[in-house]
Amino acid sequence: MTWLVWRQHRIQFGLGAALLAAFAVLIVITGVQVANQYHAAQAACAAGEGCRQLGGLFMGSRVVGFLVISTLGAPALVGLFWGAPLLAAEFEAGTTQFAWMQSVTRRRWLAVKVGWMLLAAAVWGGVISILVTWWSGPNNAEQLDAFHPGRFDIMGLVPVAYSVFAMALGIAAGALLRRTLPAIAVTLAGFITVRALIALLLRPHYMSAVTVTYNVLVGYTPPGSYWRLAQGVLGPNGQPINQNTNGNVVNGIPVSYLPASCNGPARGAYKLPPSCSQALAHFHGFLTYQPAGRYWAFQGIETGIFLALAAALLALTAVVVLRRDV
Amino acid sequence: MMTRRGVPGPRGPGHGGPGVAGTRAAPAEGEQRLGPAAVRTSGLSRRYGKVTALTDCTVTVPEGRICALIGPNGAGKTTLLRLLAGLAGPTAGQATVNGTTPRQDPAFLADIGFLAQEIPLYRRLSAEDHIRAGGHLNARWDAASVKQRLHALNVPLDRAVGRLSGGQRAQVALALTLAKQPRLLLLDEPVAALDPLARRNFLGLLADAVAAGGLTVVLSSHLVADLERVCDHLIMLASSRVQLCGDIEELLAEHQMLVGPRKDTTAIERLHQVVQVTRTPRQTTMLVRLNGPVIDPAFQASDVGLEELVLGYMGQDAPSALAHLTATGDDQ
Repeated sequence: MTWLVWRQHRIQFGLGAALLAAFAVLIVITGVQVANQYHAAQAACAAGEGCRQLGGLFMGSRVVGFLVISTLGAPALVGLFWGAPLLAAEFEAGTTQFAWMQSVTRRRWLAVKVGWMLLAAAVWGGVISILVTWWSGPNNAEQLDAFHPGRFDIMGLVPVAYSVFAMALGIAAGALLRRTLPAIAVTLAGFITVRALIALLLRPHYMSAVTVTYNVLVGYTPPGSYWRLAQGVLGPNGQPINQNTNGNVVNGIPVSYLPASCNGPARGAYKLPPSCSQALAHFHGFLTYQPAGRYWAFQGIETGIFLALAAALLALTAVVVLRRDV
Repeated sequence: MMTRRGVPGPRGPGHGGPGVAGTRAAPAEGEQRLGPAAVRTSGLSRRYGKVTALTDCTVTVPEGRICALIGPNGAGKTTLLRLLAGLAGPTAGQATVNGTTPRQDPAFLADIGFLAQEIPLYRRLSAEDHIRAGGHLNARWDAASVKQRLHALNVPLDRAVGRLSGGQRAQVALALTLAKQPRLLLLDEPVAALDPLARRNFLGLLADAVAAGGLTVVLSSHLVADLERVCDHLIMLASSRVQLCGDIEELLAEHQMLVGPRKDTTAIERLHQVVQVTRTPRQTTMLVRLNGPVIDPAFQASDVGLEELVLGYMGQDAPSALAHLTATGDDQ
């Protein structure tokens, strides 16, 4: 059975491997450059030659940077082009009637086919994630944004789970719809919807967020790559302040909330009048966030959710394929 | 009284036919008919939603036969074959194939060869690839015979089957089905894509394989002339029901074509089962299933061929012809 799977899909496997190899070459070459630049800038900073270079470091070429961001969509590819046609194309061409009339049970046929495809999906997601995670190392260290939506999704464990999920979704859609093109369309729509819903609605609540209030005159920044969920200012009565304004802002607070002394005509004056400082002391900043230390817990939870979804889809596929007539 | 549709189709082997047919059966043939059955179904039915594809199908195909499966389009031929192959499950009744219920089991599948009408092959794979795949998927696989056969037919082994002609593709699929060396071969319209010579060759090959022993074939086709040459057993379906089932020679012996003047035929109807009636102003032609000798001297009896028999049972105008018969019969 493995031989047949290989023979049927060797072009896909070859194409996938070639894409991964090309991506790897690009990432390794530019990644080494980025790392060298970063270390040079770090050394310069440590030697007291100025640290400004670090902040403004040019992280690789613009094209590669875009490519790295676009790996956000890479897991969907395996679902669309490998998963959806896997069973749908066989039903469409009637070739299940060839395969199922050999001395191999449907169960084994399905298990071997799906098994290899899931493995391929995991390798695809894994290799891309390893490359992207490594390439983004200096960037993460400097920007501290690894936990942010869009960055969280292309590094660590989750790309593997997304790829496996996309593959399972494609296979299930193909088994249910039995036609390749509708299966591809459903896979695309389903993948985007599920990913968006979980990332936007569920992920912020995997663990209850931490909220800190702080003095607006001092400000507060949690350590490491934390994930900011909400930040704002509360007025003297505890009411939230609308920070969206066209007017002047003092320490994040629009001057309309402050005494006239804060709205000094001299834009260049750095020292606030005491009356203004006293007024500001009644305002409190708040920050709701997920601490950097939870990064891997979140990666694990999200991975678990997508693997569970994939398992449910595969169970559905098995029921449909094993129970239903050709 | 008009029991055309009520003909008890499944006259199982061993029951024999009453009347003249029974007396003509040779003893050796009787023994053969009592042999084990490759296929035995009872009350087999299959519905797809509201559509009834097969109703109360009770048939038997003894081992070593080549059984023709005949019926108009949509009669349920494909459904019956798929139920026997285990590709579909019945909604009622049961089938016994090679002694067991069709099921997902390597041992059962190894003994069944099934070729669907669509000739399912992987279009981008070559015949050679299919032969290798078969070797990986079957414990018993005669790769050499397929290659030899396709070589003799000048079918290129290394070309993607999608780029072969329809006939060549059918030859590849048939050769692959035979390479499994099944005990029961189920073929759905296998010769439809073949030219007359290839058709004759293939049917000859089937006959040889069956003669060599250990093989039973059930073969559906519209080409009655082809079937008549190789088949010795018949299952006839119409409107999802079995119309006839049995040894072809015996079925032919049980039926006669009666030609006579246009007169009252109720006496014949009382004695025999009238399958089909054609009336012209001058004469009446009837296909009847005999329940004894025809004694009415006004009617000339003649033997029927498979084609006449099949067309008689298949004739879509038969019910209206019978209605016409009763109407005019009352007048006279």
